[in-house]
Amino acid sequence: MKPVTRTLVYLYLVIGLFATLFLVHCGLTALTVTVPEKAQVNERVTFVMHSGAEPRIEEPGTYTTQLVAGIMVPKSWNARENAVLTFKSPKGNGTMRMIPDAEAEPVSGVSWHQAAKRMFGIGPNLVDDFEWIVYRSTQSYTFKNNEDISFDVNVECNVGSENMLVRLGFYVGSSIESLRPEDTDYKKVAFSDVFEVTGGEGDLTDFVNPQLAVVQPVRSLDNDIITLNFDSGVTHTVLDNEEAVYLSIRCFDETGAQVAEVSEQTDRTRLTAIGGKRFRLDLWPRKYFNLERDQHISRLEYYYTDATGTQRVGYGNTEEPFTYTFRCQ
Amino acid sequence: MKTHVIIPVVFLAAAILTLSSCEDEISDVATTEAVKDITGSWKVVQLTRNGEDLSQRLDLTNFRISFNADGSYTLAEELPFIADAPGTYKLSDPQYPFALILQPEDASEEVEATFQFPVVKGKRQLSLSFSLGCESNAYQFNFERQNPDL
Repeated sequence: MKPVTRTLVYLYLVIGLFATLFLVHCGLTALTVTVPEKAQVNERVTFVMHSGAEPRIEEPGTYTTQLVAGIMVPKSWNARENAVLTFKSPKGNGTMRMIPDAEAEPVSGVSWHQAAKRMFGIGPNLVDDFEWIVYRSTQSYTFKNNEDISFDVNVECNVGSENMLVRLGFYVGSSIESLRPEDTDYKKVAFSDVFEVTGGEGDLTDFVNPQLAVVQPVRSLDNDIITLNFDSGVTHTVLDNEEAVYLSIRCFDETGAQVAEVSEQTDRTRLTAIGGKRFRLDLWPRKYFNLERDQHISRLEYYYTDATGTQRVGYGNTEEPFTYTFRCQ
Repeated sequence: MKTHVIIPVVFLAAAILTLSSCEDEISDVATTEAVKDITGSWKVVQLTRNGEDLSQRLDLTNFRISFNADGSYTLAEELPFIADAPGTYKLSDPQYPFALILQPEDASEEVEATFQFPVVKGKRQLSLSFSLGCESNAYQFNFERQNPDL
């Protein structure tokens, strides 16, 4: 045996960390909404979201968060500028602030508005010209176990100047939970019944009901990429049994003069079948019509035809052409 | 007896020196952000409109944009893009760019695209976002280098 003085003594220190995990669960109750059936153009309308909190927290823990609420409305309403959201609850009332675009939603890394659009989409609407706008209470609120409450979020908003049929989207959530895809407790979403805006000039924009022909995006210029859709399942037409559907189209400038016409039954005009008797064609108008650099078009007139070009379908299944106007407002 | 004590001390000192020198190298690397080099020919691998993927619905095979070391760029094949003529380019910042700025040779004003330079599935991508017509319509073009070895 070697003497103790010859032995190098190594000391190992072990530091243990103990964390106490409190089981916290602060779910929200189902979201319902009160939305009027209709409104006049440019009318200021109030929509109400109804929900509640059911905190189930292992005492003595608490749960502190801010209320988040979002709305999905047509872009043409300009709701970012004119919507006002307020809330009423037993824990206090207040006005909500729109979350800045620069603030990223932690899970998705994009803004809260983009994150909500990605997560909730456009609900039961069929045409996308919507934006989600997300707001947050200015104050935080602390919940204790079983401190169940109900709350309302009021949305005051101008409904824009266009006639339309639309189903609006609403969302409530908890700021500290973000928009986690797997979460079903801290975010609640609801879409309204059909809401109609009437009394304006121009055609009705129908976001809700299937239509024979739709162009997306709803707003575009001739330098955008547009998609022309044909849904032959909406009603019986002469193209009911056609597997190949073609586009016959003319474009016009601001003066109403025809600039170009493409009326042929070739790959250039053939729509792609996407199932369920629906077809679509994506095109970039500037190239499709071979426009000169300084040449612009402002309107389209078009039909869908069979492979011979003799059978065609127009607006409302009549001989009138479908029309589309290039505009941003 | 003494060597039994001295040898471990020498090894311990050498280990500390080695570790501390590694630490310096790591910290040097971390604090020097690389200048973003986008020279080369880039092809479109993804195109979205308002988040909707149009990549498989449009013929993107021939569209190329080439950034040259002399600060010029050229376009191959016509495609909806913020510029439709060759010209010069620059990044808003050489190390931390948030925008790619193009000056087409026949245009009086510069055009700008939001710039990102991510690595996706092991490949460097050039991601440009902009509007073509209405501002409400957002397009994102994701490019990959056609000649990554050059």
